[in-house]
Amino acid sequence: MEAVVQEKMKRILQGDLKYTSANLAFNMLISKLQKRVQADPGSIELCIREMDAFLAKYPIVAKVDAANIAAL
Amino acid sequence: MLITLEETSAMIRQGRTLHIAADDALLQQLPKGRWIGGTTPYFSSEEGGIFTKEKLFVTEIDFAEEIRIASYGKYNVFQIMEECYDNCLTLLIMPYGSEVANKYAKEAPEVEELLMRPTLGWISGFDLNAPGAAKVYNGETGESFTDRAVVMYCRLPKEQTVLINMINLFTDDKADPVIRFDVNELEVTDCTVDGVKVNFAEYIRQKGIDPSMPLVSDHNGSYLNTSIREVREKEVSLYAPVYRNIEYRFASHVDDYAAEFMRRLNEQGQRKPVFSCNCILNFQLGNLEGKKTLPFIGPVTFGEVAYQLMNQTLVYCEIVG
Repeated sequence: MEAVVQEKMKRILQGDLKYTSANLAFNMLISKLQKRVQADPGSIELCIREMDAFLAKYPIVAKVDAANIAAL
Repeated sequence: MLITLEETSAMIRQGRTLHIAADDALLQQLPKGRWIGGTTPYFSSEEGGIFTKEKLFVTEIDFAEEIRIASYGKYNVFQIMEECYDNCLTLLIMPYGSEVANKYAKEAPEVEELLMRPTLGWISGFDLNAPGAAKVYNGETGESFTDRAVVMYCRLPKEQTVLINMINLFTDDKADPVIRFDVNELEVTDCTVDGVKVNFAEYIRQKGIDPSMPLVSDHNGSYLNTSIREVREKEVSLYAPVYRNIEYRFASHVDDYAAEFMRRLNEQGQRKPVFSCNCILNFQLGNLEGKKTLPFIGPVTFGEVAYQLMNQTLVYCEIVG
């Protein structure tokens, strides 16, 4: 994950930025990880790694989300 | 496509890989082969929504490089997360009311790997006017089950991926009260409404809530429904479980269900689903009999799976790349 995407992803998971994907699974993952970060702010780095693994598994669809997030 | 028993049998004998939905009396007559199936007499066909026990809805799985078929009971259903291919679409069918379906419904959202394993499927059913057993079929072995899930693992070419999505006509009003439950259950008694503990059945009655409107939960802009099956004196029975730690609201009222469903369908634009299924509640409340829902055709179901169990939703997948 590029640094700019990672930084913005962190803000999305902390609830400071809003991003809704066209990908159902990505929205479900963001929602799940936001709850985890809310309950345990110290888990943010682990959550970013989980997000990274998800985007790496689906590079074709992740490209669009990564570009959109970078542009936020 | 909706075709005859003879046409379906011929496709199986040709060695083609098929997903088949039909009335049980037809599925029983099919030869063994590379297919899985589930019971329902309701379909969204090319010609429109239809109830029939004379034809089978057949989807050819021609996008997979390789497939494997398996069945699972309630104790091992989540092995599907481990036994799928690395780049895979898992097609899953479970019988309505079965313990395996209930187990999957309750526990899937808490399975760590769930969103990394694209799983699409449905809950098999029966004729609502002549209720029978909901079944699933493993065409490879010729077995049918009322208590097991059947799965077809579809391995995709390396350069392709599957995108699962849904069409849901419900949203919420963020000004409405937040409802929470402290269990993952299909039958609930108590909940909290804006933090105050109440009996859920009494709350629905007191507020005059229309039980055809589902509970909805907002998952970062994707709304997931939980439909009300029955409001009893002190308990509420649901078609999908509610989950602890999830905020629910009742869906905003939809004045014209049929028109709103078609509007949401048309919003989808140019989609090329390789598989889709739609909820029986959408079929009934949306008056979809005779109405075309192209390109979203397939079985009309007693529950939909897009990773986890959904209600009152059309789910579909596309192969991209």
